[in-house]
Amino acid sequence: MTKQDWVYSETVKEHFLNPRNFLMGDESGFSYDAVGTVGNPVCGDQMKMYIKVARREDGAEVIDDIRWKTYGCASAIASTSALSEIAKGKTLDAALLISAEDIDAYLGKLPKHKFHCSILGHDALRDAIEQYRKNH
Amino acid sequence: MVYLDYAATCPILPSVASAMAAAERKYFANASALHTPGHQAMNEIEDCREKLARMVGCEADEIIFTSGATESNNTVVRTFEGCEIETSPFEHHSVIEAAKKYRGEKLPKLYSYMLANNETGAILNLPHPEVSACHFSVNTDLFAAKNEWGKELATDRRSAYFHSDLTQALGKIPVNVKDLGLDYATFSAHKIGGPVGVGALYVRRGVPFCPLLIGGRQEGGRRGGTYNTIGIIGFGAALDEVERNGDIEEYNTRIRNMRDTLARMILKDIPGSSLNTDLMPGRSLPNILNVSFAAAEGESIQLYLDAEEIVVSTGSACAAGDIKPSHVLMALAGDAEVAHSSIRFSFGLANTMRDVEAVMRVLPGIIKKLQGVSTVAL
Repeated sequence: MTKQDWVYSETVKEHFLNPRNFLMGDESGFSYDAVGTVGNPVCGDQMKMYIKVARREDGAEVIDDIRWKTYGCASAIASTSALSEIAKGKTLDAALLISAEDIDAYLGKLPKHKFHCSILGHDALRDAIEQYRKNH
Repeated sequence: MVYLDYAATCPILPSVASAMAAAERKYFANASALHTPGHQAMNEIEDCREKLARMVGCEADEIIFTSGATESNNTVVRTFEGCEIETSPFEHHSVIEAAKKYRGEKLPKLYSYMLANNETGAILNLPHPEVSACHFSVNTDLFAAKNEWGKELATDRRSAYFHSDLTQALGKIPVNVKDLGLDYATFSAHKIGGPVGVGALYVRRGVPFCPLLIGGRQEGGRRGGTYNTIGIIGFGAALDEVERNGDIEEYNTRIRNMRDTLARMILKDIPGSSLNTDLMPGRSLPNILNVSFAAAEGESIQLYLDAEEIVVSTGSACAAGDIKPSHVLMALAGDAEVAHSSIRFSFGLANTMRDVEAVMRVLPGIIKKLQGVSTVAL
């Protein structure tokens, strides 16, 4: 086992200390087409994923821009940040194929008890895409 | 580094390290042995036993050295296997889990109520000068109406015995096991600058006792295993420091002032902050401050502070590798968000006001950032 000073991997640390695509403050700060929500503050983690969808020339719908908010721990912040990077620019169909395992692998493996954090991000994105498809 | 996690453990005091280093050369012999070096080692152990007994107000033969608070707590609870065991909701897991495993329906009953809690610093049982040896009352004000705790404990000595975990209290506030009316009490060396792996158990003469570790005649047959002479000498050296430096007075003045200053600054400068520690003297240990920050999650706060080289702890479930938040904060506040958003600052004698300033230089920004990205409204 690799020895490390910090509780999670270097990639998790980097995303935690410098999170990408987060939505600071009010939701009105980002013009989005759909939002997905998962989790519950009582469980210690809640996530919201906001997506802006654009139609490519070939007709495919892609995630043009993405933001997130979370009441969550370090690995929740890092995994949502990572997911936002992975998902950005993907078609909705391709984004739906991103698995919790993909996020986990991108982050260099979360500890077992933290794997649910990457599931939360994954579920929030799926929910956002479903919401989008329901309303558009 | 700004270290504010003394309630978890303390760095070994320099005088303790020196005493242990000297003892490793001089008192290495097995203290149970008949030869002279063995006797010399045993004499050192007995000195430490007397020091602790003096400090907590009991007889030396009522002290058993153990490997730490967990063993001491387990030993007492295990003694009452099959009996009724009642614990406060604030106990350490080494009491709660052991009670779950061993409790039954027989008498006598064991009550286990810690004196001071490790997470919030709350003092559960106020020693009262008029309290007789068989009374051990719970500070009822502490338990809000939402909890049903807070009552006089049974005082019939024939059917009940009383244990208190004094791990956090030792060296911070005066403790006297006789004034508290205790039959058993737990102590640990590493919370007062001694080594990890050494603790003690007070067992009043004549009360039920069942050794947890069997297979040796050490400690009068009450705890098997070769004496940890070096560790016990370290414990003794830490006790010397407590006495010599007037630690309890310093905690009550300088450290209390520092703790209260941090609390005031947090409340003033950080929106959504609330205290889980009652600062009123007598209601909490002077060195622990537990604060919740609405809409910000505890592990994230802890690790952003860690990145700034400020070391604290949290009652959030996420940090514990658990799905449940701190049982102590749940019992105290009854609100999972309060627990998930909690940070414990615990001070030691090496801390100065500069450490408080260092915290306040970065903490408001960290909380603002986490509240800004939070899905929970302030």
